[in-house]
Amino acid sequence: MIAFPVFPIFTLLIVLGLAPVLPGIANRTKSALTGRRGAPVLQLYSDLGKLWRKGVVYSRTTTVLFRLAPVVLLATSLLAGGLLPLDGRVALLSFPGDLVAFAGLLGLGRFFLVLAAMDTGSSFEGMGASREVTFASFAEPALFLCFTVLVLATGQLQLAGMFGVPLAAAWPVAAPSLVLAAAGLFIVTLAETCRVPVDDPLTHLELTMIHEVMILDHSGPDLALILYASSVKMALFGSLIVGVLAPRAHEQRVLAFGELILGLGLVAIAIGVVESIMARLRMNRVPHLLVAASALAGLALILLLR
Amino acid sequence: MQPVHDLLLLLVVLTNFWVLGTTRLSATIRATAIQGMLLAGLPIALYPGLSLHIVGLAVGTFAVKAIFLPFLLSRAIREAAVRREIEPLIGFTPSMLLGALAVALAFSIAPQLPLPEMRSYMLVPVSLSTVVIGLLVLTTRSKAVTQVVGYLILENGIYVFGLSLVERVPFLVEIGVLLDVFVGVFIMGIVVFHINREFDSLDSARLTELRD
Amino acid sequence: MIMIAGGLGIILLSGILALALERYPRTADSIFRWGVPAGCLAAIWPAVSLLVTGALPSRPTAGEVFGLDALSAWFTVMVLGVGAVTAVYGVRYLERERSKRRVGTAHLLLSILIVAITGVVTAERVVAFLASWELMAIAAFLLIIFEREHAEARRAGLIYLVVTHVSTIALIGMFAAWGPGLPGGGFQELAIAAVNHRVPVALVLGLGLIGFGVKAGVVPAHFWLPGAHAAAPSHVSAFLSGVMIKTGIYGLLRVLSLLGPPPAWWAWTILLLGLASAVLGVLWALAQHDIKRLLAYHSVENIGIILLGIGLGTLGQAYHHPALALLGFTGAVLHTLNHSLFKSLLFLGAGAVVHATGTREIDRLGGLARLMPRTAWAFLIGSAAIVGLPPLNGFVSEWMIFRGLFETGGTTGVLRTASAAACGLALTGALALACFTKLHGVLFLGTPRHTATVAPGAEQGLINPQLALAAACILIGVLPILVIPAAAQAASAVLHDSGGIGEVVAGASVTSAISVAALALLALIAIVWRLRARVAYVDRAALGPTWGCAFSQVTSRMQYTASSYAGNLLMVFGPLAGTHRVVGPGTLHVHAADPVLDRLGRPVWSWVQGAASNMRRLQTGRIFWYLLYVIFALVGFLLYLWFVTAP
Repeated sequence: MIAFPVFPIFTLLIVLGLAPVLPGIANRTKSALTGRRGAPVLQLYSDLGKLWRKGVVYSRTTTVLFRLAPVVLLATSLLAGGLLPLDGRVALLSFPGDLVAFAGLLGLGRFFLVLAAMDTGSSFEGMGASREVTFASFAEPALFLCFTVLVLATGQLQLAGMFGVPLAAAWPVAAPSLVLAAAGLFIVTLAETCRVPVDDPLTHLELTMIHEVMILDHSGPDLALILYASSVKMALFGSLIVGVLAPRAHEQRVLAFGELILGLGLVAIAIGVVESIMARLRMNRVPHLLVAASALAGLALILLLR
Repeated sequence: MQPVHDLLLLLVVLTNFWVLGTTRLSATIRATAIQGMLLAGLPIALYPGLSLHIVGLAVGTFAVKAIFLPFLLSRAIREAAVRREIEPLIGFTPSMLLGALAVALAFSIAPQLPLPEMRSYMLVPVSLSTVVIGLLVLTTRSKAVTQVVGYLILENGIYVFGLSLVERVPFLVEIGVLLDVFVGVFIMGIVVFHINREFDSLDSARLTELRD
Repeated sequence: MIMIAGGLGIILLSGILALALERYPRTADSIFRWGVPAGCLAAIWPAVSLLVTGALPSRPTAGEVFGLDALSAWFTVMVLGVGAVTAVYGVRYLERERSKRRVGTAHLLLSILIVAITGVVTAERVVAFLASWELMAIAAFLLIIFEREHAEARRAGLIYLVVTHVSTIALIGMFAAWGPGLPGGGFQELAIAAVNHRVPVALVLGLGLIGFGVKAGVVPAHFWLPGAHAAAPSHVSAFLSGVMIKTGIYGLLRVLSLLGPPPAWWAWTILLLGLASAVLGVLWALAQHDIKRLLAYHSVENIGIILLGIGLGTLGQAYHHPALALLGFTGAVLHTLNHSLFKSLLFLGAGAVVHATGTREIDRLGGLARLMPRTAWAFLIGSAAIVGLPPLNGFVSEWMIFRGLFETGGTTGVLRTASAAACGLALTGALALACFTKLHGVLFLGTPRHTATVAPGAEQGLINPQLALAAACILIGVLPILVIPAAAQAASAVLHDSGGIGEVVAGASVTSAISVAALALLALIAIVWRLRARVAYVDRAALGPTWGCAFSQVTSRMQYTASSYAGNLLMVFGPLAGTHRVVGPGTLHVHAADPVLDRLGRPVWSWVQGAASNMRRLQTGRIFWYLLYVIFALVGFLLYLWFVTAP
């Protein structure tokens, strides 16, 4: 079909390589704003390295599904990355309606992670699994409303088609909608990447956890895969936000990609800022926040539809 | 770029959602204060000539809606020692969805209304949806303070609509809005304090105890 | 046609022999086990070749009673394919029931049902259609009350019988309104009448929607479905849920193909009904505790998704966007097939669980993956497919419908509003994920909650049909190009427009992109798995108990159950969720209550009964009163006449 896509692979590899920096930046920002020094920005790399070398312990209750889940989670996140146009124009893989595939892949990863949690037979992990699917049920409509806004604003059906020039052209006419959609996406990002005010990655009490409690039984390389996949997920959603807020319409692909990297850093800082100025929501208020995200995106849609 | 007034109107809608969504009394008052500031900015954004009339309107709105009334309300909370959580009759999520429905309906109905050309296409739908959301707050939040807030939001909706008439009927808006708000809030304020003094509660649902 | 008739004859004959040779169970079983698939194979062949080559003209010559076009062929393939699998499964499933009741009856009824549904989807004349429709209804009724010693089954059967006749009456009304004086009553004549604009379109479409919508289980007419599908033997449930309710979909599509483009209001109605069925169906499924009722509610959800596709198609017709119409109908038709595959797979898996454990209560099961590993894997594939996850078939059809919804965003005017339905479909998908992680997690994973023992090899004999269906799900998911052209042909039979097929098939590059993505996903999983295996010292992994967060007295009762798992989510939806929470000391039960049946149906029914018993007071038994009634009636008529004739 086309020449071997060197540049998209190259950019994807760089983003995948840099993904573990993002949680580091977010945590560092939070530390700085609360007057602490905090862990080094590159902490996750050494964590991953250490976990990768460690042995594993499996619960006797678990089946193969438990071991398969981290693998599927990582594979889906990597492939979802292949659908994003990281230089604003070209994605590794792109077809009309690939937005659905993006959400579907992340859904598959969640499906397996939740089942792995149920596989342990632990009441704590069942609790985490229940919370995860509950909140995902409200994040998903918000995400698709944001996608619909993007489709309507640009008239494009594929991720690689809408970011870049069409979105840049849409800004002058549909600025309020795009701002609202970006705000909706940001809330969805907070939920999907398990950050405050939805979930607290630093909490140490199992009863208050969502994501962390689901992976209590994973150890060693399995845990490393999950942690890495979460950071990749943050990079993916960050790229979506950057793509909406700062569409890169110019021709220099390297420069555009550089802007993406910069934007990702800013998104991570924004997450850190939100974490340090907001308290965590009560569990039964989280759906409410996500419905608010839907309301924002819905308002954006109404403005576009008029 | 989109004109500034559209952005302001959009933010007005967002503050409406904020009021619908928050659980804290103080947050609703903060939201009304911010809405007042946005409304004060609106006449300037809509009529960029900076005539004395417009500037006066903006300053007056700012003083009343953004400073005076929120101040009164927060004092009411402090002195009456109300519980700071809102207990809505219908839940936060449903009222949010109702609000979204109101906005959607307002935006779809507004173009069909037989109205003269407006400065902004968003003026009418935003005013309609603000009025409806104000009514929603008024009817579903049982605390006297939130009822005042609902009343204020309703007033703000009428104010937004009146802004489109500023050129044709000068001073109508100013008089109507300011007087109305003044009277309304004074009365409500007195009621609030009296209810509190007599019944040790600000829950207007308990006003039913007043019947025989 | 000869081959189809012959094949159906073989199916029917196998059924009759299965009943007649009851005394020789082994012979009867093997005749049924081989006869039905052979008959299905013979009958399916013309349909497949029609879809592959597109050989026959779009409508057969007039005068035939039964015939095939692309739409009929598509549904025929579905009916016979799933029919063969469920029949084979049924032989083993019912084997041990033989001591209790006449199993041959069920086999015969199933074969009659397969033949009747094939008749429905191939009928060319009104009378043949209605006769097949009624035969299908009766056979299904008898199968639902097959376990008639359960009061629950009898009740479900009664409700079904009433509802299905409401549907039949509505259909008779529809055909009567369409062409009261048509000679012959062939579908061709109906189409000609529609062209000549002599048809009260609103009446026909309204009655058609009632008749077919009730059969398909569209909210709010879904209430018969969960009870009926849960009461029947599992393989019959698979066939009812996977295939029979699709006759409603077929009917809607056939009416559209004969009537031409519908008005816009009807298209919007279909879209909204689809949205309501999808969201409410999955929400109510989430509250269920009975495996089979849960799966039955998911049929309501999937019928909703199919209706979303049909709604898109009809919107495309009404607003003159042929590409959108084709996309919508193709998605709907494809999802019809996909749902029949994964839903029957799930019902067969549920049947295997019920067969092995003797209970349908989800909360009493657990940890079955160790005892029935292959069933667990097949069920996992079915679950992922019904949720609409890649790389399985459910994703492909949902992707088409999503794409159609997004396409409306590129149009103008009020049609763009349809794109907001994507939000509802996304909610449906996410809730389905919650529901099937609950079902699979509680049934198969964790530690067993039940005390009943499962004999080793419990899944033997029941597993192959499931594996075949799972393979079909994967195949369509990875290589959608195999079915999309055929689905596009069936869709274009609705539109009478073969011009657009090229467009969808030329979208083959798109479908191949899906294949590439699916294969890439599988490859990535394999690569990461290998990579992990190399470093993870998997073979030297330590084994231990599940980490109980420093609590060591863990029992299997502490696991999350289906109620607690879904509780969080259902609480958010409040009264809409159709649950009834009972909190006791140390226990929490969330009972499922169908909002339509329990909050609307029952009160209305008891009101009607009360009103009827009040009417009995009119029956005094004194002649004087009866004469008075006659006089009242007379005066009433006179008044009416005066009122009508007055200027």
